[in-house]
Amino acid sequence: MLLLDYQNVLIESLLRDRFNGGASANIDQVVSDFDGVTFHISTPESKTKILVSLRIKCYQELVQYGAQSVLEREYGPYIVSPESGYDFSVQVDLEDLPADQEGKDDLVRRISLLKRNAMAAPFEQAFDEFHQLSEEASKYTSESAPQGIAEGGETRAIHYREEEAIYVKASHDRVTVIFSTIFREETDRIFGKVFLQEFVDARRRAIQNAPQVLFRNEPPLELQGFPGVSTSTNGEVGYITFVLFPRHLSKQRRDEVISHIQTFRDYFHYHIKASKAFIHSRMRKRTADFLQVLRRARPEAEEKERKTASGRTFKVQA
Amino acid sequence: MSQSLRPYLQCVRSSLTAALSLSNFASQASERHNVPEIEAASSPEVILNPLTVSRNENERVYIEPSINSVRISINIKQADEIEHILVHKFTRFLTQRAESFYIMRRKPVKGYDISFLVTNFHTEEMLKHKLVDFIIQFMEEVDKEISEMKLFLNARARFVAESFLTPFD
Amino acid sequence: MANINWRTINIDALDPDSPANFDLSSLTPAVAPVSTADVQNNAQQIRQLLRGGDNEGALQGALENPPYGADDKGKEVHLAAVIEILQSIRQSDMSPILSRLYGAPGGTEALDVLMKYIYKGMAQASPSSDKRNITPQVTGFSQVHARGGGEGGGQAMSVLLSWHEKLVEIAGPGSIVRVMTDRRTV
Repeated sequence: MLLLDYQNVLIESLLRDRFNGGASANIDQVVSDFDGVTFHISTPESKTKILVSLRIKCYQELVQYGAQSVLEREYGPYIVSPESGYDFSVQVDLEDLPADQEGKDDLVRRISLLKRNAMAAPFEQAFDEFHQLSEEASKYTSESAPQGIAEGGETRAIHYREEEAIYVKASHDRVTVIFSTIFREETDRIFGKVFLQEFVDARRRAIQNAPQVLFRNEPPLELQGFPGVSTSTNGEVGYITFVLFPRHLSKQRRDEVISHIQTFRDYFHYHIKASKAFIHSRMRKRTADFLQVLRRARPEAEEKERKTASGRTFKVQA
Repeated sequence: MSQSLRPYLQCVRSSLTAALSLSNFASQASERHNVPEIEAASSPEVILNPLTVSRNENERVYIEPSINSVRISINIKQADEIEHILVHKFTRFLTQRAESFYIMRRKPVKGYDISFLVTNFHTEEMLKHKLVDFIIQFMEEVDKEISEMKLFLNARARFVAESFLTPFD
Repeated sequence: MANINWRTINIDALDPDSPANFDLSSLTPAVAPVSTADVQNNAQQIRQLLRGGDNEGALQGALENPPYGADDKGKEVHLAAVIEILQSIRQSDMSPILSRLYGAPGGTEALDVLMKYIYKGMAQASPSSDKRNITPQVTGFSQVHARGGGEGGGQAMSVLLSWHEKLVEIAGPGSIVRVMTDRRTV
């Protein structure tokens, strides 16, 4: 399992099962997702009405960046007022589903992408801003571009985790996405560096069209002076910058790109942990090998049986 | 590179074979006690001159003999940060299982990565040339293991990076 | 008197009869003190022989009178001279020279001294390995780090290692044991 799924698999399988005529029963489950996001899927009123609620830590920020309109666009008729303790809810009536199978599958897909859609708002805003800026910039040459166009749009911060955040900023020829990630332990930092070095090199080496990746321990220029960005240089916080070029931002690619880039941080940490586990098991195996070699150094002590005069047998302890 | 490896291991082998002639020696300081003299260091006359075998600055073997025990300390080559971490983890792994390894010392001597303590009791129980074989093989294997783990890590990192960035293409 | 913690007094150090106070110098035969100047003169002579092309003579001269009585500086000077000689002799010449030295009177003694210098040379060339510099490079390090040795110091080491091998072939492992037990350190 190399790449992470964009959708929540548990929600997807539950809904799919139920939509396609599975046995109807009461559900009440709390499902957790990456980044501390929780879903609550339940049947509060009747067995046929399924309520799916979402809680994200940074929901207020997302609303600030237009999450409401994105969610309305996706789930329009199904939105209900949020359940208590949650940020957003949709309700599906099993008796009121779209008639065709395709429609049902589409609905299942959209609901399981709830987290992704909520987080997509700032990205979509930034992409739209990019298109707008690039149109305006194309009217000028680069020297005579007025100050506002050259600098680009404002930086949007999404604090989706404790101590970690994503910053999105649009310019006239690119969109920059910066991940700030924290590594508590020295070993994690070194592993992370190895992986990131490969990310940086991959563009040069194999995939020419990939976004450019940069990595620093200090906040990059775009974030200098940004409120909330820690200026301490203790090396624990790393900043990974993705530069998305126009070809990644076209209308038909943008959804895919948004989904994919959201999974970066979890993907990264998952693979670091997986390699640590592999190395651990290798060391175990190697230690067992050494032990075996050492045992060979001991000559075989034969168990000598001896008999006493009265006929009792006993073994000699080596 | 491996051109100087063979004489290095040969040198370690002959030095170890010479150093591992141990005999029982009761402690002079306390009655009825028998301690490895190299560790207790209570009487200076039973401790012999230490030997160093080195291949370069980073790879050395330090042999401290005495009349009834020998302490062998090894420095494993660590070229960069990632190897440093791998060696550190690996030696920690081994030293935590020191009891099953009989001859391993739980803490390495200062300045080295890992240490062995061989006493006359060990040489009485185990075949001497096999012990030397074990230590030589240990040195080779650890080097090989560290390189393999590093290679694996790099290969995996490359694969991970490429598979993440391909969908953007 | 009650201010001292009696248990922390190292009684062995105060007891004149205890094995901890064994006088090590009684184990070694008396060595005549040698001044650093003498050692340097000797080293100069040896270098001249070396430059003259007489490798064997230089080696023999160096091994004949090891400066056991000199202080650290003198010993280092002599060690440097010996290493220079060892490095200048070719691979193919090593075995014949060694066998001739062994055959000559006082040969075993000379080869033991050579073994002592080999070990001392290997112990020398490692500066304090206690400080491990971990420089976290922000721009990343090259992944293709070859794990091979062989800097300038490494070359001297491999010379010493090959000498060691040839020496053990000729003089046997006993010479290593004699290095360990001989209290007169070179």
